[in-house]
Amino acid sequence: MGDLLPSIFVIIAVAAMLGGLASLWLSLTLTLSDEATVGARARLTSDARLALLTEKEALLQEIRDIAFEHDAGKLSDVDYEEINAKLRGQARHVLHELDAGAEGFRDEAEALIAKKLEEAR
Amino acid sequence: MYWGPPPGCGGSNTMPALDIPFFGTLVLSLTLISASYTMAVAIGAGTGRPHLLPSARWGTYATVALVVVAVCVLAYAFQVHDFRIRYVARYSDRSMPWWYLIASLWGGQDGSLLWWAFLLSGYTFFVTRWLRGRYTELQPWVLATLMSILIFFIVLMLFAANPFATYIRTTPGDGEGLNPLLQNYWMAIHPPSLYMGFVGWAVPFAILIAALITGRLGNEWVRAARLWSMIAWTFLSLGLLLGCLWSYEELGWGGYWAWDPVENASFLPWLVGTAYLHSVLIQERRHMMKVWNVFLLALTFFLTIFGTFLTRSGLIASVHSFARSDIGQYFVWYMAFLIIAIAALMIWRLPKLKADNEIESLVSREFAFLLNNWVLLGMMVFVLIATTFPLLSEWVRGEEVTVGPGFYNKWMVPLGIVLLFLAGLGPLIAWRKATGSKLARAMAFPIGVGVSVAALQFLFGARFGYPPIVEPTEIYDTTTGTVLAWMAAVAPLVSFATCAFVLASVGQEFWRGMRVRMRKGESAGTAIFRLVSKGRRRYGGYIVHIGIVLMFIGFTGAAYDVEQEKALRPGETMAIGDHTVRYDQPRMEADPNKRMIFTDMTLLDASGAENGQVAPAKFIYRTHPQMPTTEVAIRSRLSEDVYVIMSTVDPSTRRGTFRVIIRPLVAWIWFGGIVLLFGAILGMWPTTREFVREEATRVRPRRFRFSPAGAIVALAIIVASMMAWVGVASAQDDTSSSLHAGTVVINNPIERQLFGRLLCQCGDCARLPLDTCACGWADDKRVEVRELLASGVEPSQIQDSYRAQYGAKALAIPSDKGLDRALWAVPVASMVLAIGLVVMMGRRWQRQGVRAHAEASVTTNAELAYDSRLDEELERLEDG
Repeated sequence: MGDLLPSIFVIIAVAAMLGGLASLWLSLTLTLSDEATVGARARLTSDARLALLTEKEALLQEIRDIAFEHDAGKLSDVDYEEINAKLRGQARHVLHELDAGAEGFRDEAEALIAKKLEEAR
Repeated sequence: MYWGPPPGCGGSNTMPALDIPFFGTLVLSLTLISASYTMAVAIGAGTGRPHLLPSARWGTYATVALVVVAVCVLAYAFQVHDFRIRYVARYSDRSMPWWYLIASLWGGQDGSLLWWAFLLSGYTFFVTRWLRGRYTELQPWVLATLMSILIFFIVLMLFAANPFATYIRTTPGDGEGLNPLLQNYWMAIHPPSLYMGFVGWAVPFAILIAALITGRLGNEWVRAARLWSMIAWTFLSLGLLLGCLWSYEELGWGGYWAWDPVENASFLPWLVGTAYLHSVLIQERRHMMKVWNVFLLALTFFLTIFGTFLTRSGLIASVHSFARSDIGQYFVWYMAFLIIAIAALMIWRLPKLKADNEIESLVSREFAFLLNNWVLLGMMVFVLIATTFPLLSEWVRGEEVTVGPGFYNKWMVPLGIVLLFLAGLGPLIAWRKATGSKLARAMAFPIGVGVSVAALQFLFGARFGYPPIVEPTEIYDTTTGTVLAWMAAVAPLVSFATCAFVLASVGQEFWRGMRVRMRKGESAGTAIFRLVSKGRRRYGGYIVHIGIVLMFIGFTGAAYDVEQEKALRPGETMAIGDHTVRYDQPRMEADPNKRMIFTDMTLLDASGAENGQVAPAKFIYRTHPQMPTTEVAIRSRLSEDVYVIMSTVDPSTRRGTFRVIIRPLVAWIWFGGIVLLFGAILGMWPTTREFVREEATRVRPRRFRFSPAGAIVALAIIVASMMAWVGVASAQDDTSSSLHAGTVVINNPIERQLFGRLLCQCGDCARLPLDTCACGWADDKRVEVRELLASGVEPSQIQDSYRAQYGAKALAIPSDKGLDRALWAVPVASMVLAIGLVVMMGRRWQRQGVRAHAEASVTTNAELAYDSRLDEELERLEDG
């Protein structure tokens, strides 16, 4: 093993150096061109959607947690009702936002399908 | 393949060679350029040019790759013994096996900085992969912050501690070799895991900075930082635990924690990080404590840098700090920059950090978490002040002092027990407001168990070797000293009872949860399985608490240590506790690296039957003959460890001097550590649903489902498993280094108390008190002190005269007078002030009641439809 190690380190170093230089080149190319702009904007939209999905996930977990605490006798009925109503209100709001966001995607998807169908004809 | 040094430069090959030192420095310079470029592009992406984000990501990958190259170059230089490089020559030699040559990478200062940068690059790579397609607003600033931290370390290497620096004149034919203390398996796993913990906090810190800059200070950043802070905390815990094992089995201090400045440096961020992990739960659940959480996370990261500074600068004497160097000033500037930048960002974003809710009751889980934070921060202040007190004393009044383990143990034990109690209390209290009757019902069983255990120990403890109250030992001859001594004396009773209380509390939580599920028709097995798998974070946290309890049981065992030192000839025995130890014979072995002198010993039980073998030893390394290491032998059982140290052996007469310590319950610490790690990993392990959602959001379908978060959690499991394996495998053989060789005789409690306060001044073992140091100087001094005591001189007078003769630093604990009193008075005062503030604010909040706050609501009439969708989602969550 001791004899092999120098060669292993050289191979890793060469591979990492090539990978590093290639990544740097790619980065520079992207910095100097406008090609990535459209993709970046699309990702921003998808990120906003992802944030909403994460928010929804967290709220669902929280609703489940307080239900569990209520069942385990750690949360009074009054407190449970109040917190549950609040969390559900927030979750409904998030679902609404997600639906509203999806509308835009739906229009875009329909337009793309229509375009493809047109091209196919 | 050979890139080695040219002939005559310390290499062993004559092939044409690349100039490795130059190449290494060149790679570091390229890394600096790449990291600076990436930071600039990332800032561009964060300031209205989102199309630059892919460039920043690729720039990050390039920077990471270049750091890998630099590490490989140094690792290669070690393997081919390129002694042109000063660092290679100082920390390796030709006789070292390949695995120690790898460990040498982080064995010294310069290399450990490169290792820091390497681990940071590893984290950066994983976090960049993980961020792909998520948190786009935060992402540029996360990358920019990580790059800025990396830039600091590269600048440090290039301008102050270059691991590729060469000798100016001649190149040595062979290296100096790695310090014998570091030539063991612990070196391969302890520093990397500790660094992983230190460096890991950079990621949640970067996410926090991104949130502060972008103003997105809701729960988004908390969720983004959750996994990464858990990973950092787990590695830091693992690193600390391995450090304890190393101390116990390797360094021969006779203990697992010596409150050494470097140990303390890693404990500080752990304390604050733990406070953050609890406090952030309040923000997630109640949308409050936002400023506090920002402060705690920033402080945790700051303390990792401060800890690195303490370790690297050599400002404070430590058994394993690196040599004094000029990198300290770089750290001071960087820390100053961090303080200013964080403070400025927090002040700027203060309006966005307002809480949405207030604490409604002092009897609520929120308040219990606040108290938990109070104790953890109080402990941090204690350790911080005590660690830096020698330095402060020298600066302020020009007098060197020493703060020994006795001080820490006396103050930290009560605080630790309070913290433990809160770990059991927290789960019993409801969020927002607990009613008296419900709380009483929830606490009845755990308190009953705690009181029962205390009663049992009171009645039968002494019979089984665990008396409820131990002999009080005073560190001061003042009222404070007496109070502390009595608190320590009753600590075993209180600690065991509190451990039982917490175990019962956690057990009750599992039981209550199971019952809830069983009411829905699930069997007991299914209920417990689903309970844990559906609430991994919550139950993982409870398992961590169980691990802490088990560790506390082990810590409490230290109150019952029995110790004896005796000179024996082959065939002679010494009795200690229920054990008899027989010295059989000395034995010599050798390998290319060292000579080893073992002393074979047999453990005998009460009936005289053989009950195991141990072989403590001395290792004399070829490169460091002046530093013989003492190899401790341990026979470990769940009830107790038999810990044997060979102090001296005379080759001609074969007479040896042995120190035997019976350490009850130590194995519980390691067992508890494994349980803690298991709980932590369980708590952060992503659920199937999270995996599925993660993949569903990907833009492109992928055949291989690679989850960076999953991968790094898997890495945590691998390292934890290694630790468990090593811990078990090494139960019998271990190593340590102590230069002393002699006998410690202590005749009575007064001698023990006094010797414990006086530090040996022989020059080699300045940190050891006279009750443990076995060198000739210490032995002579003990005889002298004994004579003074016999002639009627008061212990306090002897202590004062010792201080007058050798200076304040010769006392293990500063006096309880004048400015020395600030050592405990400042942390106690700050804790009292903090608890006063917490209670006052809690009362004010309570009076104000719930503040009305804007609540998001849907204005459409589709509420019922949404509710039914929510119910479907909740069902899916339950089944998923």
